[in-house]
Amino acid sequence: MSEHDSKSGAAEARAEAERFREAYEAIRGEVAKMMVGQHDVIDGVLTALFAGGHVLLEGVPGLGKTMLVSSLGKAVDLSFSRIQFTPDMMPADVRGTSVLVETEGGGHEIEFEEGPIVANLVLADEINRATPKTQSALLEAMQERQVTVGKRTIELDEPFCVMATQNPVEQEGTYPLPEAQLDRFLFKLVVGYPQESEYKEILRRTTAAMEVELSSVSDGQTINAMRRTVRSVPVPEHAEDYAIRLVMATQPGSEYAPGIVNQFVSLGSSPRGAQALLLGAKVQALLAGRFAVGTEDIAAVARPVLRHRVLLGFEGLSEGITTDQVVAEILEKLPRPSEATV
Amino acid sequence: MTEAPAEHHRIRALRRDLDLAAERVSGELTRARAAVRLDGALAASMPLLAAVPGLFVLAQLAAWAIDAPALGLSSILVAAFAIALPLAWAWREAAKVKRRGVPRAGALGAVDAHLGLEGRLLAADEFLGLDERGRFQEAAIEDAARRAHEAVRKGIDVAPARADLGAAASRWSAAGAALLVLASLVAGLERGPGASGGDQTVAAAAGSGGAAETAPREDAERDPEPDEPVPALPAAEQDARRDGEEAAESQDSPEITGDAKESAGKTGAGRSSGAMSSSAASESKSAPSSQGKSSDPSKPPKKKPSAAKKPEDSGAEPEPQERQEDEQSGSTAGKGSSKGSNKNPTASDWKSRDQVTETDDQEIEDDEETDDDEEEQENRGGVQPSLRDRRPPVSRDLQIGFGNRPNPDANGRGGPSEQKKSRGVASLVLGVPIPDRIKGRPGPGPTKITQERIEPEAEDAAAVTAGARAPRSGELERPGALRLDPSLRAMVRDYFLALRRTPPRQ
Repeated sequence: MSEHDSKSGAAEARAEAERFREAYEAIRGEVAKMMVGQHDVIDGVLTALFAGGHVLLEGVPGLGKTMLVSSLGKAVDLSFSRIQFTPDMMPADVRGTSVLVETEGGGHEIEFEEGPIVANLVLADEINRATPKTQSALLEAMQERQVTVGKRTIELDEPFCVMATQNPVEQEGTYPLPEAQLDRFLFKLVVGYPQESEYKEILRRTTAAMEVELSSVSDGQTINAMRRTVRSVPVPEHAEDYAIRLVMATQPGSEYAPGIVNQFVSLGSSPRGAQALLLGAKVQALLAGRFAVGTEDIAAVARPVLRHRVLLGFEGLSEGITTDQVVAEILEKLPRPSEATV
Repeated sequence: MTEAPAEHHRIRALRRDLDLAAERVSGELTRARAAVRLDGALAASMPLLAAVPGLFVLAQLAAWAIDAPALGLSSILVAAFAIALPLAWAWREAAKVKRRGVPRAGALGAVDAHLGLEGRLLAADEFLGLDERGRFQEAAIEDAARRAHEAVRKGIDVAPARADLGAAASRWSAAGAALLVLASLVAGLERGPGASGGDQTVAAAAGSGGAAETAPREDAERDPEPDEPVPALPAAEQDARRDGEEAAESQDSPEITGDAKESAGKTGAGRSSGAMSSSAASESKSAPSSQGKSSDPSKPPKKKPSAAKKPEDSGAEPEPQERQEDEQSGSTAGKGSSKGSNKNPTASDWKSRDQVTETDDQEIEDDEETDDDEEEQENRGGVQPSLRDRRPPVSRDLQIGFGNRPNPDANGRGGPSEQKKSRGVASLVLGVPIPDRIKGRPGPGPTKITQERIEPEAEDAAAVTAGARAPRSGELERPGALRLDPSLRAMVRDYFLALRRTPPRQ
């Protein structure tokens, strides 16, 4: 690589990173017009969107989970569909089905009607109210970015992002997501209660006569370009080692597993967890103004990436241990490679 | 890869800065680690300051005890050795840490962490070694180049917190000095009397050992029967046993031979109280009629108890002793009532009434059964209380009768009869017969099927609307999902905490 090439390459990377930050901030600002507070959740949703993953939002009712996703759909010019999951919903209601339509000549023919999953941004509201059969209809779409109905396979347009919400409190008549389904979510974000200072702003925006209008500040092409930028961010060896050890530390009996994992965890993260760590860390590195992933970026996304990939055992559940506690202890105990200390 | 001179110069400058930073920090970290290790080794080896003089004192004592010449080492030499040993070991440990050093990546990582560079230098160092670099890697190198020079200029402070060894050193040194003084005192002691004193000590020890050896032997001789569970018996039974033994001793030779001890053990003299009571209870169950007869002074017993029938089987000596014990232990509730002894007048009164209703045939049958059982038990090698469960219920008529007149329908069995045989408080109520069973057939009997030939008729049935349906009952949860009530959760939690507190069994 010549000096010019190297200089222009570095400049190009800097420009790309700058564009990325601008797009990110624009969308974030637009969504923040509707959402008050919840900065971590908004950042998590946008990180997952730019990293090319799906998000599971968990929180009690009334915290704005659905509004956040619908706001994102308005802020980004993407086709948006919402699926309200119910116990009687069938897979065909998600993927689509063949219906009998009347033709002009008076005849009838079978025509395929696409389901709501065929969109760029899909809000799967209260996903745990659907039966596992219907939940599994999302698996292929989330992993393969395609939907197969009979002999027909529909390629889903990029960007494709499923944002699912679930309520952890109402357990009657719900079906907890199976592990295979959970693993396909890049992040699981926990939506908490707003701060005291945020309540006034929420009340002012929602009870006054004025209405907040959201405009599109980005589009699908931009999102796709940003996703390519994210994937261009290099990962040094020490950061890669750290991500791998972090995932291995969630697996009981592994070399890096701390005591809390060996005692309370029955199932650790899969390699998808390491992929999610690196993708999320790349977005974090770009947002931090760096051009390579550091161990800090991996640690920053470890909780939303690993909290739904760690399955507690009976003893852990009975002790009241949470997966967040497990991940926090792993982060505390696991030494960062290539960081010598006295 | 062809790099232009300016670019080459920039990369060389970055490499130089990274090398400098890594070398400097690596040296500082190595020195800091060595200092920490030195402190740790010194702190750990501080007891040697007292241990070496202590060994010296022990050696002097040993030499004095065996009347060997005192060790020729001077106290100064020992003190010097005690000081040099910890120092040498600590120095060796520190040297090992220094030899190991700190790798380059570790040093650069430490610089990144100390200066808050978030891995920029480490990443740039790695990217510099690549043959092909992407645009983001070039950007990362450029980004690091600006910061590397500043990192070299600033450096990092890795001075460790040194341990304060002064107090420990003075403590252990004082102990060592005291031991050295003690060693010199031991070395100056006279040897002649010490040696004879040592002999006396040995002799005294031997004497005491001999006494200690003889004492258990005397105890063993004094102990009449080690296997006999004397302390387990009640005082009255012990007295009875002691009387029986004395009687046996007065009849036979004054010393109990081994055979006699064995026979006594077999015949029940060495039995525990539980075994004795069970055997007595079995006797009470097996011979009800004879008890009744014995309680009635007007009628002599027709048959003697089975135990008395075969005196040659059970042995001559233990028999009276056993009887004596049984009579003594008859103060317990089970025995006293069933044997009909005069210690329980109420029971004996009922027994005497019961025996009026019994026939001779029943007595003969009971006695025969008792004989068979006893023979069977003797063949099996002893009394087996569990086999008593096979017997029919004890012959006892619990019918309260009508006034003073006994019930002629009483069959002497506790089993089902037409009228309930009351016990306890109910038996005190004047004769109110209570039906014990309901007469009738257990089954419904033969089924009768009747067929009628009629035409089917339509009936009006209202359609069930969805709203009229009752809600589904039962839980709609996934089985296996653990949702416990708070109380159950607390219980499980307590269980696991208790489990953790309990040390695992080896």
